[in-house]
Amino acid sequence: MIKTENVTKYFNRGKPDEVLAVNDATIEIKKGDFAVFKGPSGSGKTTLLSLIGCMSRPTSGRVIVGDRDVSRLPERFMTEVRRNIFGFIFQQFHLIKGITVCDNVMLPLYPVGIKPSKLRESAALILNNLGMSKRIDFPVQRLSGGEQQRTAIARALINNPDVILADEPTAHLDTQISEEFLTIMRNLQQQGKTIVIATHDPLVYEKDYVNLIIEMRDGRVREIMKN
Amino acid sequence: MALEKHRNILDYTLQSLLKRKLKNIGIIMVFTLVIFTASSVIFLSYSLRQEARLLLKDSPEIIVQKMRAGRHELISTLIMTEIGQIPGVSGVEPRYWGYYYDSGVKANYTILGIGASGTEKNRVLSGRMPSRHEKNIAAIGRGIAEARVIKKDLGSVLYLQAADGKWMNFNITGVFESDSEIMTADLIVISEDDFKTLVGMPDDAATDLAVHVSNEAETPTIAKKIKERFPDSRPILRDEIIRTYDAVFGWRSGLIIALFMGALIAFIILAWDKATGLSAEEKQEIGILKAIGWETSDVLEMKFWEGLVISLASFMCGIILAYIHIFFTGASLLAPALKGWSVIYPEFRLTPFIDFYQIAILMSLTIVPYIASTIIPSWKASITDPDTVMRG
Amino acid sequence: MRKSGVFFSFIGINLAIIAILCIISLIAVSEHNIASKDISKIVKVLQLTDMVLATDARYTRNPSQADLFSAFQDYPGSIEHFPTGSVIPPPDMNSLEKLIEIKANGS
Repeated sequence: MIKTENVTKYFNRGKPDEVLAVNDATIEIKKGDFAVFKGPSGSGKTTLLSLIGCMSRPTSGRVIVGDRDVSRLPERFMTEVRRNIFGFIFQQFHLIKGITVCDNVMLPLYPVGIKPSKLRESAALILNNLGMSKRIDFPVQRLSGGEQQRTAIARALINNPDVILADEPTAHLDTQISEEFLTIMRNLQQQGKTIVIATHDPLVYEKDYVNLIIEMRDGRVREIMKN
Repeated sequence: MALEKHRNILDYTLQSLLKRKLKNIGIIMVFTLVIFTASSVIFLSYSLRQEARLLLKDSPEIIVQKMRAGRHELISTLIMTEIGQIPGVSGVEPRYWGYYYDSGVKANYTILGIGASGTEKNRVLSGRMPSRHEKNIAAIGRGIAEARVIKKDLGSVLYLQAADGKWMNFNITGVFESDSEIMTADLIVISEDDFKTLVGMPDDAATDLAVHVSNEAETPTIAKKIKERFPDSRPILRDEIIRTYDAVFGWRSGLIIALFMGALIAFIILAWDKATGLSAEEKQEIGILKAIGWETSDVLEMKFWEGLVISLASFMCGIILAYIHIFFTGASLLAPALKGWSVIYPEFRLTPFIDFYQIAILMSLTIVPYIASTIIPSWKASITDPDTVMRG
Repeated sequence: MRKSGVFFSFIGINLAIIAILCIISLIAVSEHNIASKDISKIVKVLQLTDMVLATDARYTRNPSQADLFSAFQDYPGSIEHFPTGSVIPPPDMNSLEKLIEIKANGS
């Protein structure tokens, strides 16, 4: 499903503040996997997540999604792959303040050109499944942390993606809500979606349904454990 | 499908404009005010200029003034025959006019002594004007009729103090109605004889001479000949008079400079403020949109809509308000600048001549730069890789 | 209604108002052509040269007839000091075609 071959990523290449974020990473994630990138902060897991999610391009090496090399695609097609295959959940949720839950969830599909009434239907369905039906027209800045995250999940699901990418999803949540989040992810995995989570929270990578743990340190893949 | 996409993006743009309601309403108000001021000036000056062109086309081709020591002086009517002999001149007539200060009303009137008639059955004149030798008869402008302390109208009597100190009384037999106010508001028209008595003018003198020319193309040549024959004279051409009005209401002077510049500066400050950068919040918003699957072109389209919504709405409101201001309320805000200390002034019941060319220029000078100043700063934010939002 | 719908109707209403104003303008201009004939006749008979825009100063009441080079004024173009003088500038002086030269003694 997703492969990286000797992927290296520099930031600010050639400048004094050059950073080597990912160094020669080769991994493979199969369809239906529940994968975790494990490692301390600064180990390059977020960068690797953004590389496989077509959010940035590797400095060298190849990223293959499906059977397509996406690392050299022009921006238009990168966006298309991102929009069709991936759903993102960010550490800070990154919801757009000042608009409602439903509008936030619909947002990714605005440029696709679907009528808002239809978009709203599917957004309402997803929110319903996540137990958010009462919050549909609520402004996001007034939601609790757990509700904000569920809104972010709903937004990641609106395009019916094959792969869900989550970056430190439990960092700002208490244990109970983190458990709820993982249950949702587990359900999604059982529906056939591939889950990739970057985290250093043991709560996540110690779950028995996690079947692929990629441990990273200083930008290198240190260990790959398969269950 | 494709259209729906643009509509969706417009929907979102409006939504995020509403999010910062106060700020955006403020911008729209300032922008509307700028357009309102600029287009008010354009409407007013263009229609006055058209009015000048239309009405002054029948004024004399050449006015000959006498200059002495640099000042305008009475001209001798004896030179009329000599001017009349210049080839191309079809007629020379003396003009008798001057100003009269009415200390009671603290107003200046323009007094005209006439020696001709021919305005019977004129819709803008009620009653009649005096003829050359008729005594104690006057026709006055509507402005004077309204402005005198005791309202004067047809049939009442007007008193003016003559040069020798004696009071002269005039029966008002004619009033120039308000349609002609822009030309006649402050006029007192009396007979030539009365005028000479009133101001104490010698019999063989006139204020200046109106020279009529049979072929208009020859006007400059004739003016030159008059100037050669009478070096102490100053010929004023009708073309120059009209050009004087073009200058008064042209782009580069007078009203425009006085009023438009302020508005323009306000607009530049507004555009500068926008162009110098995005807030951190706006940058993050662009990052999020890109991260969740918007293309660079979608983000720029949103910014385009943002600029267009604000500038188009403001432009239209400004234009409509300016039209109402100038043509329905008689330029109530600009008129004081034109009136100055005048006591008698016309009500600007202007004919709505519209210069679509100038409006189009105003449109391109405001809407286009505003949209540009909305899009350009977001350009950089929208071409960066979406992963910055994850790292930020 | 969708927000874009509200926006489009707002623009539509504005366009309609502008169209109406244009029609009013066209009608008024064509009517004015008739009235202006009568006014022109008066202009012709009275041999008027200027419009009544301001009546506070000579050079703004009759800009085209104003004195030009009176001594001891603010400067040779600005003749008197009135508020309207800032709006109505001095007249076009081309007609004088007179070059003022100040020659040194003996030259």
